[in-house]
Amino acid sequence: MSLTVFVGRRLAAGAVLLAVLSALIFAATAVLPGDAVSAVAGVDASEAQRAEVRAELGLDRPAAERYAIWVAGAVRGDLGRGFVGDRPVTEVLATRLPNSLLLAGLTLAVTAPLAVLLGLWTGMRGGAADRLVSTTAQVLAAVPEFVMAALLVAVLAVWLEILPRVSVIPLGGTPLDVPHALVLPVLTLSAVGLSVATRLLRVSVADAAASPYAEAARLNGVRGVRLAVRHVLPNAAGPAVQALTLTTGALVGSAVVAENVFDYPGIGRELQLAVAARDIPMVQGIATALAGVMLLVLLAGDVCARLLGAREGHGR
Amino acid sequence: MTTVLTPPGRRARIARPGPAGRPRPPLLAGLGTGLILLLALLGPLAAPHSPTEQLAAPFQQPDGRFLLGTDVLGRDVTSRVLSGGRTIVLTALAGTAAAGAVGVTAGVLAAMASRRLGDLLLRCVDALAVLPALLVVLVLAAGFPGSDTALVAAVALATAPFSTRVLRAAADTVLSSGYVEAALARGDTRRAVLRHDVLPNIAGPALMDTALRLVASLHLTATAGFLGLGPGGAAPDWGRMVSENAPGATLAATPFLAPALLLVLLSVCVGLLAGRLADLVGRGSA
Repeated sequence: MSLTVFVGRRLAAGAVLLAVLSALIFAATAVLPGDAVSAVAGVDASEAQRAEVRAELGLDRPAAERYAIWVAGAVRGDLGRGFVGDRPVTEVLATRLPNSLLLAGLTLAVTAPLAVLLGLWTGMRGGAADRLVSTTAQVLAAVPEFVMAALLVAVLAVWLEILPRVSVIPLGGTPLDVPHALVLPVLTLSAVGLSVATRLLRVSVADAAASPYAEAARLNGVRGVRLAVRHVLPNAAGPAVQALTLTTGALVGSAVVAENVFDYPGIGRELQLAVAARDIPMVQGIATALAGVMLLVLLAGDVCARLLGAREGHGR
Repeated sequence: MTTVLTPPGRRARIARPGPAGRPRPPLLAGLGTGLILLLALLGPLAAPHSPTEQLAAPFQQPDGRFLLGTDVLGRDVTSRVLSGGRTIVLTALAGTAAAGAVGVTAGVLAAMASRRLGDLLLRCVDALAVLPALLVVLVLAAGFPGSDTALVAAVALATAPFSTRVLRAAADTVLSSGYVEAALARGDTRRAVLRHDVLPNIAGPALMDTALRLVASLHLTATAGFLGLGPGGAAPDWGRMVSENAPGATLAATPFLAPALLLVLLSVCVGLLAGRLADLVGRGSA
């Protein structure tokens, strides 16, 4: 099966899965339409006002019909308008999603090389260093992101005052205009990502280092960095890419928390605000978009693993 | 909690022939977990003041009346810390129990059903696993605002897919073993095999898996409190206390540090306990 066919099939499967997930998200948020009405009309609105709002929002129609209308719009690139401020959901996605992707990209740029280094080191060495790094990673992984973020803020921003407490981005600017505002969010996310990725990588490196292939190389006198880079890493690369893919998935959740702590103008912050305001169309749109991003990340991971696998088969 | 978890530790200590450097039984982590769980569950009874009433000026330093000072609204931090853990712990436990039940049922069903049906079931479970856990919590919180049950359901939904995979693999191993084949060959019904062979033998992996999920559940419930989801209002909650008092950390450190440290300690202890338990069970069955 060529790569194009593989990607095509996976994209088709992903589209079906996205449709299923969007239906689930729609169902979870739309079963209590009464609450959406109170959110818009106010809690003490009269019955007549409530009925009017319900008709205006189209909530008097059955849920299946509303979902069909929503899907028809979504296919044309229109995800509806939020209850709060009447902003088009797609516009919010277009302005906020790039900020979040920047945050995720920077975090991966910090995490991936460090995780590979630490994974190689601990997986091949073993011993005291391995135990120290593994235990640290386990402890770090157990600390909830928001506690980590709050502690970092308390120490670096409030106590030492070397970094800004919140990531205030100038109106119309991008986060890159104020690089120091990115430091704390990226630091928080990297700590979380690193603890997850290092542990997963350590396992695949240890497996590769124990394989007969690596043993043969070791018996041939290959040692140290050369053994790690030429012989162990290529064999651990497939599982390693999977590990990094899983880490990226975990980062999507962590990013919501980090963006909230630092008031970073990303999509996670927008999602939390929408949930707090019971802004159902906004929640549906953002949640479906995030599910789509997750599916793309998983697909990218699979393609990378496939390419690496192919190279292993032909080369070396 | 601790009483359930001690036996594997004790057994391993006797059975371990191992070379030096093998992990010790998780005594310290077990003790820490037990103490914090006790504090969280029984704390509300020991609270000296009302946890929701405004009693003094905001951010007062600790003194004889308020042992940990007062928080951003002038409420007693000691009482709030003592009362704020119960919801988190109970929600996490309920979510984990629900996820465990779903995981065992779906896992065993997938293993015992025909191959095609089992694969289909796993596909559905995998579809759910695509959604990040916090996204599930947020979406359900948007659909059922302020509902405790929705939070429990969200925690269960977010963690159950992984349990299902693990338990299906465990049940598959048992089903392909010699004694199950013998039992089926001598004419035992599938229900008898399920009761006498499969369930007792996957109990160990199921317990271990549940312990691992408890860590994730604690994360999720604490984070939900921090983001202001779940039951709202003035009710004390360690996660919400961190977010309420973090801006005033320079004025008074205790209202922010006390719940943060308790959450870190609880998560780390349960995490270490679950990890060690996984090692012990893994070695015992190997």
